[in-house]
Amino acid sequence: MKILAIDTSCDETATAVTENTKILSNTVWSQASLHAKFGGVMPSLAQRMHEEHIDWVINRAMTNAKCQMINIDCIAVTVGPGLSIALGVGIAKAKELSKKYNKKLIAVNHLEGHILSSLANNKYSAGDIKYPALGLVISGGNTLLIKINKIGEYQTLAQTTDDALGEALDKSTRMLGLGYPGGAILEKLARGGDKNVYSLPIPISGQESRKIFTYSGLKTAMNRLVESEKPLTKEKIYNLAASFQDTAFTHLTRVISYVIRNSEYGAGSLLVGGGVSANIELRKRLRKLGKQFNMKVLFPYSKKLTGDNAAMIGIAAFFKAQRGEFAEIGKIDRDPRAKL
Amino acid sequence: MLTIKAGENVIKKAVGVLKSGGLVIYPTETLYGVGVDATNPKAVKKLSEYKNRPLGKPYSIAVSDIKMAEEYAGLNETAKNLYKEFLPGPLTIISKGKHKVSPGIESEDETIGIRIPDYKLVTDIVKELGRPITSTSANASYKKPPYKINDILENLSQKQKDLIDLIIDAGALPKNDPSTVVDTTLDDPVTLRRGEIKFSENNQVLSRSEENTQNVAKEIWQKYEGHIGKRAIVFALEGEMGAGKTQFTKGLARAMGIMELVTSPTFALENEYREGKNELFHFDAWRLEKSDEMVALGFPDLIRNKSIVSIEWAERVADTIHEFDDEAIVIWIKIELGKNENERLISWGVKQ
Repeated sequence: MKILAIDTSCDETATAVTENTKILSNTVWSQASLHAKFGGVMPSLAQRMHEEHIDWVINRAMTNAKCQMINIDCIAVTVGPGLSIALGVGIAKAKELSKKYNKKLIAVNHLEGHILSSLANNKYSAGDIKYPALGLVISGGNTLLIKINKIGEYQTLAQTTDDALGEALDKSTRMLGLGYPGGAILEKLARGGDKNVYSLPIPISGQESRKIFTYSGLKTAMNRLVESEKPLTKEKIYNLAASFQDTAFTHLTRVISYVIRNSEYGAGSLLVGGGVSANIELRKRLRKLGKQFNMKVLFPYSKKLTGDNAAMIGIAAFFKAQRGEFAEIGKIDRDPRAKL
Repeated sequence: MLTIKAGENVIKKAVGVLKSGGLVIYPTETLYGVGVDATNPKAVKKLSEYKNRPLGKPYSIAVSDIKMAEEYAGLNETAKNLYKEFLPGPLTIISKGKHKVSPGIESEDETIGIRIPDYKLVTDIVKELGRPITSTSANASYKKPPYKINDILENLSQKQKDLIDLIIDAGALPKNDPSTVVDTTLDDPVTLRRGEIKFSENNQVLSRSEENTQNVAKEIWQKYEGHIGKRAIVFALEGEMGAGKTQFTKGLARAMGIMELVTSPTFALENEYREGKNELFHFDAWRLEKSDEMVALGFPDLIRNKSIVSIEWAERVADTIHEFDDEAIVIWIKIELGKNENERLISWGVKQ
């Protein structure tokens, strides 16, 4: 089944053509490709940019997939969560194409896209997932652990009560005077630093039973620590970066461990998605967690699938289509705070 | 199209080509890049044809040193810090542009991406040329990142190939990641006016915990909730990173009877919470680049509809909030870090 997928949930205008779980093309127009992703935005500009670029990006995706509308079976579009005025652009375009070419519409939750992104290009197949499985979305906008009973049936187990993990990493980098977003730089610096020079408090240490992720306290502690260490030297910056990243990740894995250890069902697989899942150190720790609990850990095959993209939307849509979950053109609408 | 090996005389040849508006493929510590004189409009147009991408997408530039960078961009403290620590190296730094490059180089919001490649050949060429060259990867848009010349040529049409004037071939490059991009413009000082807000000592409390901060929010809410339905109520929150602006909003939501989990809106820019007829609109202005972007997000409509609004980093959009001073009740809340770990000094005031 060939699907044309559209995602305009935030800064990127993304389209893709997928065939089942295989990617035929995956095109992303960053609001300004050279601009830092998720850096400063102008919502009115974002909306106009999406409107200006969407046709071009769709054509590009179709050309790269060597595909014409006649070969397309369905059109999938992200309805949320995301920036309301941005989501509207993708939805309007999907409706227009659906009418014009008489194609069925599929409404996709952006988070489900991230959850299923590791199935892209058959790096893993749906049959590799052992149920019940866990899904982990770690990005600039979300930090979410869910139980997957089967594809399409999810239940939230833990989520952030304040900042998302990616947001916390970005903000801490900014405290170090290194611009925004800085998650990627922080990762580089952390590799060269000693995480044991400073000690930051691990969020809700010992109270993992609360089953939440929280980064506000850590952020404050980091702010105070950075202030007290000023003037910053290169060495201090490296060590602070290492310390913050270590603490943030330790909190994440501790809560996940708690959830697995105290669940009646255990977990057969862990599906990881979202921008922060590109972080090598975090991958290492999650794999270790997988070994500990005899749980297979699935990551997307490429960085193109960890950031926002439409290929993952096409894949999520494929499973929805199999279940017959199509959207009515008159009813499909944006849902900026969509839940799984 | 001329291909030469990196070696003698390369700099002279490259500079000659660039000066006459030509297009050069060159190696860097990350990928092969494509360079034209960034101050020559014709050359930049040629580059857009080569990359096969419509106008409107900016190109980053390569400079030889921080001095040259300062001619083309306003560097703030954050940017200077990054230049000092990380350049030359695989980092592209976004700053406010000085409009000294050709159209199409800076972004629509007038910022510019600059890097100093950790590759002497390139910085030597730029130094000799005396002005920046473009520093975008040498592949056409949406094609494979180029680590060797063949990666590039295989994916080009004849028309695109004809646009290349010189290729500097340094063989297969080590597979390093493309450069990381960092935006420093969010750290530019905000010069907006908050207006005449009096924070009297009577309106000041010490919070000792997150829970405490939430309760303070509840108390302040109770002072103003009488205005519900008559006028919009805006809580304009100021305070540095980690001060507790989201915690304060959690307290507001709870006081309004909203049970839903309130989280940071930094990424989404705006969250809406609803419980029965109570609605709370929760904004975060930190990533907004201009004050009037609040208009695009529907702020004026919210005021007209007499909504309840909480805005984090409100000082960044103070100009726009100010326009509604008479229509809405605007309560400015300042949260400052106290002496001890969990202490916060919370003060509030309205326009007199």
